[in-house]
Amino acid sequence: MTQPAERPEAGPTDPAKGRIARGWIHAAGAVVIIAAVGALAYESGLIPSPQAARQGMGSTTAGYFQPPTDDQIPDDEFGAAVRRGQAIFMNTSTNASEHVGNGLSCSNCHLDGGRQPYSAPMWAAWVQYPKYRSKNNQINTMEDRVKGCFTYSMNAQHSVSGGPPPAGDDIYRDLQSYFYWLATNAPTNRKMEGVGFGKVEKTELGYSPERGEQVFAANCSVCHGADGQGQKDINERYVFPPLWGPNSYNWGAGMARIDTAAAFIKNNMPLSQPGKLTDQEVWDVAAFIDSHERPKDPRQKGNTIEETRKRYHDGDEIYYGRTVNGVLLGVGTPDPVHPVASQE
Amino acid sequence: MSKDPKRMTNTRHRPDENFEPYEPHRRIPWPLIAFAGALGLWGAATLLDSRQDVAAEQAERLVADNLKTGQNSEPGSTLFAARCATCHQPDGMGVRAAIPPLSGSPFVAQGPELIAKILLRGIDGPIRVNNHVFDGHMPSFASTLTDSEIGELASHVARHFGESSQTLSATEVASLRGPAGEDSSFKGGAEIAATSGFSLGDQPAFVSVSAGSLAPEISSLVFSGRGEQWACASCHGDLGQGKETTPRLAGLPADYIVKQLDDFAQGRRLNESMRMVVNTLSDSEKRKLAEYYADLRVPSNARPELGGNLARGEELALRGDWSRNVPSCFSCHGPSGFGVAPEFPALAAQHAAYTTNQLSAWAGGHRKNSSLALMERISSELGDADRRAVADYLASLPPVPAGTSEKTASIGDQP
Repeated sequence: MTQPAERPEAGPTDPAKGRIARGWIHAAGAVVIIAAVGALAYESGLIPSPQAARQGMGSTTAGYFQPPTDDQIPDDEFGAAVRRGQAIFMNTSTNASEHVGNGLSCSNCHLDGGRQPYSAPMWAAWVQYPKYRSKNNQINTMEDRVKGCFTYSMNAQHSVSGGPPPAGDDIYRDLQSYFYWLATNAPTNRKMEGVGFGKVEKTELGYSPERGEQVFAANCSVCHGADGQGQKDINERYVFPPLWGPNSYNWGAGMARIDTAAAFIKNNMPLSQPGKLTDQEVWDVAAFIDSHERPKDPRQKGNTIEETRKRYHDGDEIYYGRTVNGVLLGVGTPDPVHPVASQE
Repeated sequence: MSKDPKRMTNTRHRPDENFEPYEPHRRIPWPLIAFAGALGLWGAATLLDSRQDVAAEQAERLVADNLKTGQNSEPGSTLFAARCATCHQPDGMGVRAAIPPLSGSPFVAQGPELIAKILLRGIDGPIRVNNHVFDGHMPSFASTLTDSEIGELASHVARHFGESSQTLSATEVASLRGPAGEDSSFKGGAEIAATSGFSLGDQPAFVSVSAGSLAPEISSLVFSGRGEQWACASCHGDLGQGKETTPRLAGLPADYIVKQLDDFAQGRRLNESMRMVVNTLSDSEKRKLAEYYADLRVPSNARPELGGNLARGEELALRGDWSRNVPSCFSCHGPSGFGVAPEFPALAAQHAAYTTNQLSAWAGGHRKNSSLALMERISSELGDADRRAVADYLASLPPVPAGTSEKTASIGDQP
């Protein structure tokens, strides 16, 4: 080493230092290579992304009956009826204009065009009819059932015709064609998983519109408006449906019952975040929504609210005929001067 | 201790007059070679991947072109489904009390030329169709559809809903396009009837909403900026049309703009440039600026540019992906993407790069100002391909038919 003629070894004087440095370089190189190869594999889809994994797990429709997709609608006369039925279902106030007396569509409560489990999917409903219903104490065909929807949920009493479509109307044929097609391959006469709106267990506290008001302000008003009257776009078209008042469902609708509304909300609301609200919040907010005045129960006719409550709402979880904050509910909103959306 | 090593070194390595600096031969370390190799491989694969995307996109366009050029039995029907059906409905029945029907409409019955004119200019004013008066807000398609597309679409609508057998060629459409900047919207059914000379029944009169000229101090904020601060127009364009990752402001709901400005100021939405500019604005200035932009009716300069799958984008925008609890964009942002104030901005004609940026920011936790964390959750369910797809689709839509005033302008016009 001390001989001038002898070339000193290249690199650091301390051989150990060199080995450590080399080790670091190799390690860094290996990390970069692994990262590059990993990124390649991820890009090409060889490695399942956490997102893909979550898609499988968090899927809300997995495990339920899968109705056919729109591109499977047959290209024939029956398919044309399915499409007409779908158009009525999605845009009820236009395509069944004569019989809709409020601002709602079927698809406001039957989400994803009647496909979504626990938002009363039509594939599960179709296979349950004909069926006995205590609501009218008789065997109901699907047509009878849909007639009920028009009478109560669509508030037909304030429509141009003043009532639901007459028996045998094409509206029923087209809607039933759509339901039947949605239930392709579904087992007849079986209670399918995802039917109806589900059920929310009662809570110890019971329900309270006062508590519900806060839940509503925090979770619902962003879409349905602070006054619950829904929201429209610049063309005056409803984007979010009204939940009470003259443009909503009437006192005879299933959704006017707190337990039904609670189940719908629990399983479907807020849109894109079902299950976000606790059972208690769900009961409270349903009570808040259903403690507002809405169009009268069309079955009341000449009777008093008290008689109508006894006859049609006995034992129901409903504010109809009850007094909230000193106001008797069930009187109904004022009848419109002209039928809703009548011609000028 | 401090001196010793130096002396030691000096004694060990005496200065050698013949010493030449040298570098012994060393092989390039293998990690470096492997690193370069991996990078090369990665680059090649990415190139190949994007080329496949481009090829797929070209194939899609080819199919669409075939439909347009009449190789399909129903030219224009695909365009109708994609561009018209969200408002006028697939069956052309419109929406009660909101969107006029095409089926049985006296306007449609006049044939493709009038339909093309309406497509090119849009409508801003009341219109009577089949005994119903509609408060018409129809976008102009002049900036988002080509002449041949408008020709096909108008011919399809005339044939399908008006029983007309006429067709309109691209050259005929080109002659209908007015000089740039003069394509202001029809002021309702009355103006259509007056200019076309057709008998279209009794049409409601257009009541001009006073445009309220732009206050000089607001104009100076928009075009010159305050002091050292940037002018709005320096990034968002002279007409609020935006560019790339700078959003289009024209036609956004005023309440939405005010909320965003406040959020920038309060740090609920992170953007250093916006924070600096907004901090100089008073509440009343924010409101006036928002109203100015909300009322602008400006052609779209957004284009699908991210190679996204437009069919998938349309699916997400119109129907959503319920298997992942992703509702359709339009179920909250309005059936045509025109927005619902104050929470839901217009999406139509927004720049694709901006839209994907925001979706990524929500998913990554960098933007947190949406109510109920709606967009945070929805964005995190969308993969990169879905984000590009939906952003590209939204960029292809006609712009919001904002305002009923005379502020219509075309891109490139100076104030």
